[in-house]
Amino acid sequence: MSSLEIWATIVGLTAVTVGTRSFFLVLGDHVPLPERVQHALRYAPACALVALIAPEVLMVKGGGLVAWNDPKLIAAAVAVGAMLATRSMLATMAIGMAAFTALRLWG
Amino acid sequence: MPQLVFGRDAAVARTRRAAFRDGLRAVLPATVATGPWGLVTGVAMVKVGLTPWEALGMTLLVFAGSAQLAALPLIAASAPVWVILLAATVVNLRFVIFSAGLYPYFKRFPLPKRLLLGYLTSDVGFAISLQRWTAQERNDPAAARGSTEQVWFFLGIAAGNWLAWQSMSIVGIFVGAQVPGSWGLDYAAILALVALTVPMVASRPALVGAATSGVVAVAAAGFPLKLGLVAAVLAGIAAAMAADIAGERLRGRA
Repeated sequence: MSSLEIWATIVGLTAVTVGTRSFFLVLGDHVPLPERVQHALRYAPACALVALIAPEVLMVKGGGLVAWNDPKLIAAAVAVGAMLATRSMLATMAIGMAAFTALRLWG
Repeated sequence: MPQLVFGRDAAVARTRRAAFRDGLRAVLPATVATGPWGLVTGVAMVKVGLTPWEALGMTLLVFAGSAQLAALPLIAASAPVWVILLAATVVNLRFVIFSAGLYPYFKRFPLPKRLLLGYLTSDVGFAISLQRWTAQERNDPAAARGSTEQVWFFLGIAAGNWLAWQSMSIVGIFVGAQVPGSWGLDYAAILALVALTVPMVASRPALVGAATSGVVAVAAAGFPLKLGLVAAVLAGIAAAMAADIAGERLRGRA
């Protein structure tokens, strides 16, 4: 790609980002949002996060499921347990990464 | 300088500053996820062949990790600009859903400020803010949406997130490929997301929705243009709503 095309892409991507992120902030006045939809949106954040996480934890690069004893899978399970026990994000990360590193080096 | 940011009215400025600080504090743990992502994206931009200036321009202007990462292989393949923009739009579709969730809180602002608030919306910022605001509404159903406190909390999150993302992304651009993949730093990002998700699935409908979303995301991982992500979010929301309605019926009968 030429430098001009790359800069056009960058400007275009900026417009796409502003457009999608403020879509209903701009159109909300003209597109009424039913209470039911607003209620449904409460579940959106957790669903979006799990949709980002699940393929990373459960799949190997290039497709296919990981083995039951994969360090990523076990570390994620340890992290869930740590979060339930400590309610601290940083403690969860520390315990999870310690498990991940230990399993990769000696697992 | 503080006057410039928080305004001249002392009482209002105090509220704004306290809420801004709360936001910064709330986003701090999540920057552990944002930072490595920024680093990886910074490295990836340079590896694809962007000059440092182009990479800097991209991170400072676009400010959208997943859209940037989606665009890079297409840039490397010299795809037409419109194809790249379409792919980025689809990857960003979740933000359209987020904007609908944020609308009740930001609708009192004029258009330019709404565009700015939209631009500053991140996955993490949306999740933390809406989580806190809906909890506030459960405690006080009569509270008005979009209070000064709520908006400045959001801005505090946005500021912390922006700084963490940009600084690490710029480090990534200049340190480039010298970060060894063997550090496993990228997995810290995923574990941070796990920690962020656990408190959000405290109710049965949320758990059903999250599980459904995860299964669909894995099953649809091969979909082109990251459409699997959109399918997963939609399926998850639908399942959560179904569980919600089923739960209401059961309670009604009991």
